[in-house]
Amino acid sequence: MKLKMGVDIGGLTLKNPVMTASGTFGYGEEYSDYLDLNRLGAIIVKGLSLEPRDGNQPPRIIETASGMLNAVGLQNVGVRAFIDDKLPWLRGIDSAIIANIFGETIEDYVKVAEILNDAEGVAALEVNISCPNVKRGGITFGSDPALAGEVTRAVKDVSHLPVIVKLTPNVTDITQIARVVEAAGADVLSLINTITGMSVDIEKRVPHLENVTGGLSGPAIKPVALRMVWEVVNAVSIPVIGVGGIMNARDALEFLIVGAKAVQVGTANFLNPGVTADIIDDMEKYMSEKGIGDINDLIGTLKI
Amino acid sequence: MVLKASASFRESLPGQFVMVRMTDSNAPFLSRPFSIYSVRSRGGDTFVEILYKVVGKGTDIFSRLREGDAMNVLGPLGRGFDVPSTCKKIVLIAGGVGVAPLSFLAERCEKEISGAEIICYMGAGSSKALAGLDRIEGICSVVKISTDDGSRGHPGLVTEFFGHDMELYADNDSRIYSCGPTQMLRSLHKLLKDRPVACQVSLEERMACGIGACLGCVVKTKSDGLVRVCKEGPVFDINSVDFS
Ligand SMILES: Cc1cc2nc3c(=O)[nH]c(=O)nc-3n(C[C@H](O)[C@H](O)[C@H](O)COP(=O)(O)OP(=O)(O)OC[C@H]3O[C@@H](n4cnc5c(N)ncnc54)[C@H](O)[C@@H]3O)c2cc1C
Ligand SMILES: Cc1cc2nc3c(=O)[nH]c(=O)nc-3n(C[C@H](O)[C@H](O)[C@H](O)COP(=O)(O)O)c2cc1C
Ligand code: FES
Repeated sequence: MKLKMGVDIGGLTLKNPVMTASGTFGYGEEYSDYLDLNRLGAIIVKGLSLEPRDGNQPPRIIETASGMLNAVGLQNVGVRAFIDDKLPWLRGIDSAIIANIFGETIEDYVKVAEILNDAEGVAALEVNISCPNVKRGGITFGSDPALAGEVTRAVKDVSHLPVIVKLTPNVTDITQIARVVEAAGADVLSLINTITGMSVDIEKRVPHLENVTGGLSGPAIKPVALRMVWEVVNAVSIPVIGVGGIMNARDALEFLIVGAKAVQVGTANFLNPGVTADIIDDMEKYMSEKGIGDINDLIGTLKI
Repeated sequence: MVLKASASFRESLPGQFVMVRMTDSNAPFLSRPFSIYSVRSRGGDTFVEILYKVVGKGTDIFSRLREGDAMNVLGPLGRGFDVPSTCKKIVLIAGGVGVAPLSFLAERCEKEISGAEIICYMGAGSSKALAGLDRIEGICSVVKISTDDGSRGHPGLVTEFFGHDMELYADNDSRIYSCGPTQMLRSLHKLLKDRPVACQVSLEERMACGIGACLGCVVKTKSDGLVRVCKEGPVFDINSVDFS
């Protein structure tokens, strides 16, 4: 039986539902020795800002129970260097290239989105709204419904590309933000970004991270991510991409069953750089075993 | 610990490292980086050896493994030491298990640079912590030992011991290589500051991916800002690192 693995999400057609999460896959080339990148549904590159950013001082990572905290601080080469130095290589890869973008002001987001309009080879934008708005006292765009809607609309107004908005879990009701972002014109939602956390060195009585707090990722956050994806799928009518703690095909299938149209694999890439190929293989195996010919027949089939 | 690994490890360079984790367990969660101590081929198989000290959760788990247990080994990774084609004196300064990459380097230099004298300054907390001493003694012309508690060799820090002899290596024909705790490398940096000697050091930082993707392992440099230890390093010219 020839399996149909392709999914359509908000105007974007993917050969399969497995993507790599922003910030965990570099600019793609770092992984080219370890897997055939052409197999991936999509590659989402490290978050891009208008100007290059140095990020936070080390130490930036610490292992925690079933996961890790990171405070990389969105270090990146900047959108122009991405287009000049990284994108030409990525154009040779036959999978959707998605640019993850962020800014400190709405104007920053708009400028980055405009610059990417002219970049051949970018299939979609993913807008990271888990960043502080420097003009509004540092409040995170994604934790304030009005700001989340405003940044979504501003990017949608200028971009020619499908716009995925990536939600932060650090909110009291994620469905409220999801609805506002949908109403503001987002084509797709992805969730979750990392959960803010902290870890302390009891010998020195100092935080393990120079930045004090960091973002938690890995299997530790999967149940939270899955619950939030399920809630959001039930609250909006645009497609949702599930992210958070996916280590293997079983984890990925859970997200599809609750209604995610696609998944992103993050921290798992660090433990095994070829893990996404294994996930695709094992998903196909599951479908064959269950007699499911089209992955779309599995999505959103949760029985309650 | 000796790991059976793929044939690609035969190309390993001294100073390069591996990322290891248990194949069937998420404890420890992240892979742990270790310098390559030796690479040997036997009967068509390739074996990578690491020399490690138990300092926490991951290394404790590794120390309980039995022969035949399965681990994932990624590598060889990173930039190794630059080995000159000719050189009169190779000076190695090792702190604790920092001897591992230097021992691999000494083997290589002994093979590839004819007539070079290889001198090692080896320091540790106590005589018990001088792991790897026998092997490096077998390769180097001289091994000068120091221990913090004075239980063997010169009492005190290895950098002090080296500092006394430093003038012997102040010419163009000497190369210095070092690996050890950051505090030791910082002292060495201070000693060598403003001197025209070639010195490379291997740095350590917490790592997640080991292949340049996560940006978790950065270190401050003087002219290039924050750079990745796993990719641009772990070996750096001592003068390029910002130890402040
Ligand atoms: C390129 C490179 C090469 C290395 N080579 C060797 C080697 O040959 N032999 C060896 O014994 N060790 C080596 N290390 C250090 C080794 O990676 C750590 O000791 C190990 O990861 C600790 O794991 P753990 O779970 O036991 O400790 P944890 O429980 O994670 O931490 C215990 C202690 O170890 C320190 N530590 C944790 N991770 C690192 C790290 N990446 N680098 C330095 N200190 C760390 C912590 O600050 C803490 O004090 C190397 C590190 C790097 C980056
Ligand atoms: C080291 C690291 C860097 C990250 N950088 C970004 C980023 O630049 N932009 C972004 O939107 N998300 C970033 N993320 C979040 C991931 O894309 C993902 O949402 C999160 O890690 C949860 O998935 P996981 O548990 O599979 O890792 C980063 C995560 C990690 C661990
Ligand atoms: S460990 Fe990931 S970039 Fe160095």
